[in-house]
Parts: sequence; C-alpha cells; structure tokens
Amino acid sequence: MSNKRKIVKTVIFVLGAIFLLFLPFITKSQYQIHIVNMCGIYILLSLGLNIAMGYTGQFNLAMGPLWGIGGYTAGILNTKFGLPFWVNLPIAILLAGLVGAFVGLPSLKVRAHYLSIVTIGLGEMLNLILVNEEKLTGGVLGILGITAPKFLGIPIDSDGKYYYIILTFVVLGYLLARQIVANRVGRSFRAIRDDPLTAQAMGVNIGNYKILAFFISAAYAGAAGALYAHLNTYISPDIFDYRSTMFIMTMTMVGGIGSLSGSIIGGILLPILQEYLRAIQSWQLVGYGLIILLVVLFVPGGIIQIVQRKAPNHKITLHRRHKSTHAAKKSEENDVLGS
Amino acid sequence: MTNILIQTIIGGIGIGSLYALVALGTTMIYRSMGLINFAHGSIYMVGTYLGIIWYRGMVLGLQVPFPLAFIIGIILNAIFGFFLERVFRPLADVDLRNMLLGTIGLGYILDNLMIILFGAEGFAVTSPLPTKAIVVAGIKIMPQNIMFIVVAAILVIALQIFLSKSKFGKAMRASAMDREIARTMGIPVNTMNAITFAIGAGLAAAAGILAAPIVYVNPAMGAAVGQKGFASAVLGGLGNIPGAIVGGLLFGVFEAISAGFISSAYTKGIAFIVLLVILMFKPSGILGEKMVEKV
Repeated sequence: MSNKRKIVKTVIFVLGAIFLLFLPFITKSQYQIHIVNMCGIYILLSLGLNIAMGYTGQFNLAMGPLWGIGGYTAGILNTKFGLPFWVNLPIAILLAGLVGAFVGLPSLKVRAHYLSIVTIGLGEMLNLILVNEEKLTGGVLGILGITAPKFLGIPIDSDGKYYYIILTFVVLGYLLARQIVANRVGRSFRAIRDDPLTAQAMGVNIGNYKILAFFISAAYAGAAGALYAHLNTYISPDIFDYRSTMFIMTMTMVGGIGSLSGSIIGGILLPILQEYLRAIQSWQLVGYGLIILLVVLFVPGGIIQIVQRKAPNHKITLHRRHKSTHAAKKSEENDVLGS
Repeated sequence: MTNILIQTIIGGIGIGSLYALVALGTTMIYRSMGLINFAHGSIYMVGTYLGIIWYRGMVLGLQVPFPLAFIIGIILNAIFGFFLERVFRPLADVDLRNMLLGTIGLGYILDNLMIILFGAEGFAVTSPLPTKAIVVAGIKIMPQNIMFIVVAAILVIALQIFLSKSKFGKAMRASAMDREIARTMGIPVNTMNAITFAIGAGLAAAAGILAAPIVYVNPAMGAAVGQKGFASAVLGGLGNIPGAIVGGLLFGVFEAISAGFISSAYTKGIAFIVLLVILMFKPSGILGEKMVEKV
C-alpha cells in the first residue's frame, strides 16, 4: 500500500470515528437515534449469522428465536430477580450460545437445505416456548418494565446514552469476529464450508467446529437480545419469530455473505430502508422482495461485492458433484486450506 | 382410548393428505429444476384465493358450487404456475443461500400483492359439507377428512398415471433425470420444468381450496403450510414422489397425535422435533437417496 493511500485511509478512519462518537448530537430526534441503536443490534445479529452461514456454510435459521433467548434471559433475570444489565448480558450470551449449540447438533448429520428446515423447526419450538410458558415469559404479552442499565451510577435511560453502550459492543463484536475468522478457527470454518471431506482429511474436527460456529453465532444473538431487552424495556415473542430470522438473513445477504463488512453494511441499510418503506405499507414488502431478488440475481455477493469489485469465492450448491468441480476450480484461484 | 387414537390418526391422515399435496409440488420442482422453493406456501395461498373467490361469489357476483370452484382454482393456479416458472428459473442455478433468500423474496412479493388486491383481513369460508361427525363403529369421523383423503388419493393416482403413461410424463421424468441428455433427445427441458411447476401449483391450489373451510383464508396463510409442506417433503426424502406422500401423511399424523395426546400448544414444534429425530437416523429422509453428511 502506497503512503498516500495509507494517509487517506487514516483520515477516513479518524473522521469516521469522530462521526460515530458524536452521532447522538447530530441526529434530530429520539426516533432517529433509536433506529441507529437498532442498526447496532442488527449488526451484531448479522455478524453472528455470517459466522455460521457465511463462513462455515451452516444454515442457522433459528437466529430470530435465539435472539429471543438472549432477550428473555435478560428480561426474566431483570424483572424477576432484579439483576442489572451487566450481569444479565454475559448470562444471556452464554445461555443463547448453549441453546444455539443444541440447535446446531443436527448439522452433524444433515446438511444444507435439510439443515435449514430443521433449524427453522427448532426455532419455532423455541418461539413456542416463549409464547406458552406464561409463568416465566409472560406469554404473548411478553415482559414489561425491564430497567435501563446503569454505568458508574448513571442510569442509561435515553437512546442517546444507550447508543454508546451499543457502539462499544458493536465495535467489540466486530473486532472479535475479525479475530475469529482470521485465525485457525476461521480457516477451519471456511474449509468446512468449501470442502468438508478435504477439511477432515487435513485433520479438522468437523463436528466440533460446526457446533462452535453455531455457538458463536447464537452468542452474538444472545448479546443482541440482552441489548434489545434493556433498550426497549419491553419484549414479546412476535419480535423474535421466523420473520426476524428472515430479516437478519436478508440484511446479511444484501450486505454480503461471507464478509464482516457486509454485515455492517446490511445491518445499517436494511433497518433504515425498512423505516423509509414503511410509509408505502404493503408495497413496502413488495419492494423489499424485489430488492432481495435483484441482489440475489445480479450481485450474489451483496453490496460488498460492488464495493470490493470482487465476486464471492465461495458457493454452496445442492449436489456434491457440482460442489467438487467448483472447489477444484476455486483451489486454483486461491488456496483456502493453505498456510 | 383406542377409539380416540383411531379418530386422531384419521384426522391426522386427513390433514396429512393436504400436506402431501403441497409436498408433492415442492418435491417435483426440486427434482426437475434443483430448486428449493420457499415460496411454495405463497403459491398455495394464491391458489386458495383463485378457487375460493369463485365459491364466495367475489368475481362478477357469480356464485359457483364448491366442486366447480375447486376445479377452476386448480386450473387457474396451474396456468399461473406455468408462467411463474420463468420467474423462478434463474434462481435454480445460484448459491443455495441465495436460492433460499431469492425464493423467500418472491414469496414476499406474492403475499403482499395479494394483500394489495384483497386486503390483509381475510375471511372465513362456509363448509360445503355437513359439519357433524359421522359415527362408524363408535369412531367419529369428520366428513371433511373423508373428502381430503379421497380427493387427494384421486389426484395422486391421476398424477401417477400421467407421469408413467403419458408422453409428457415420460419426458418430464427424463428431463428430471438428466437435463443434458434429455435436451439432446429433443425434449424442451424448460417447458417440462414449467409443466412441473404448473402441476405443483395446481396440487397446492387443490390442498388450499380443500382446507379453506377449516382455516381462515388470508394472504399470510401460506408461510406455515409452506414450511410444513417442505418439512414433509424432507421427511419422505426430497425429490422422491412416494416420499412426499408418505412424509405428508406422517407429518399430519404426528401433528394430530401431539395435539391430541401431548400438548396442543406445542403441536407444531413437536412435529418438527419428530422430523429432526427421524432425520438423525435417516439423514436423507425415509425414502430419500443416500446423502449423508460425513463427520
């Protein structure tokens, strides 16, 4: 990288950081900053899904309900036991992660489209638990009156203040995800996605890594859930259903599957788009469907593909026959298993 | 106790035969195009409307009898499906994740166009059959269940004859087996796929119109049925036609048994758990070809 480009990059980075730090002062209303906060939560969810689906090729279509596990863990611990956000968050992360690992168990036996319907089904089961275990979850009405977190004794009771908590966790979540995918773990994930048999031959314990991918993606959902519960102070099962899984999947794919920057782009763009399209009601979802279709057909790698001018170098197909030829072609281009 | 069990199973087979009709479409489209169609539930919903609007006299005030509305709905949805194939075709060759999302996107479009056309509220449909149970040897059977089973059986047999005896059916099976060779034999593969799509849409319409009196017809009704249809197809072995029928019937029976004996609140979840358990032992479904994920 030339010196000049380095300077430009540093300047953009500094300006971006300043922009993010002062964002609550620029936004015009509580509503706007609330949307920004929701974008942050969706970025975390999208990063999680990307690790399972983008990097490991495992269809975790229980993301919405797993997000709910995080939200309800925080909500129940807060309203029933009076525990604060800072205690609830790690518990929510851990619990959602464990449930996610359980949801991922079928991935040991079934793959791709079969896995998608199984995880959808398990997600439905989780959502049914939220709806039906009324004593614990409040049923369809959900949980009201979750308290705002406190930081150094200051209550974080407005969206403007909460923004900094979310910003912190999004930055941490992104850096952590970058570490994960850049390391040995990430290389194993990609090897499983591109060619499980070769990965196994290279000594990757496929089963453990698949479960780990599910655990990590669900842990992100858990963090997003706890953040959501304490931000909105109210949760109900319909927030965390199948449709939210689809929304998370859409933002991940539109941003760019298999790219962490893609998750950030999708996580910012889709919630904002949704707010803008709300005015046109039913046409909203028609337009939404059209956008999905255009992206899928013309920029299969998502918006990040346009930014980086590079088509994605991974593809999951139905038949092993095609898969192996694709993998062979691919290994000439760049060696995933190398190093 | 046994009577109640038999009643429950018959009810399950009744609903299950409708799932089988939906699953048949999913499985046939997968077999011929290699497309996992998550919008099949929406096609089912459109088909239901295309039939029921005639029955309820929503078109030009014409009130047609249920059997006629049923046939009109199937034909209209088959024509719709025939042209819809062109829209779905490009999705058959993309990355599986894109295919999933793309078909879901098309589903959104169909669902919301129907909301724009007919409103989101939906309506109840009066049953053409008596709603009183028939009692045979102490077992109560709802007339609609007999209708579901009989009509589905007729359609399945007709489909089987069409596929095995007619020239079209043979061409369809050939192009599903090997696209390239079929093409060199002069079979228009894309047209065959469109016909497959039309049949799938017609069967989905049949299931939807039959079920209309026992459900609340609305533009959002497709999602759940689409999921169950896909689950049934997977249960029987995706791409396998007898498998779709077995899968649909079993899924219906699981649901009925879990609703009747375990917990009505968790019906949907329990049926999926049973699917999961079966897939753990038979990863490609009950009648599916072997496709094991090696670990």
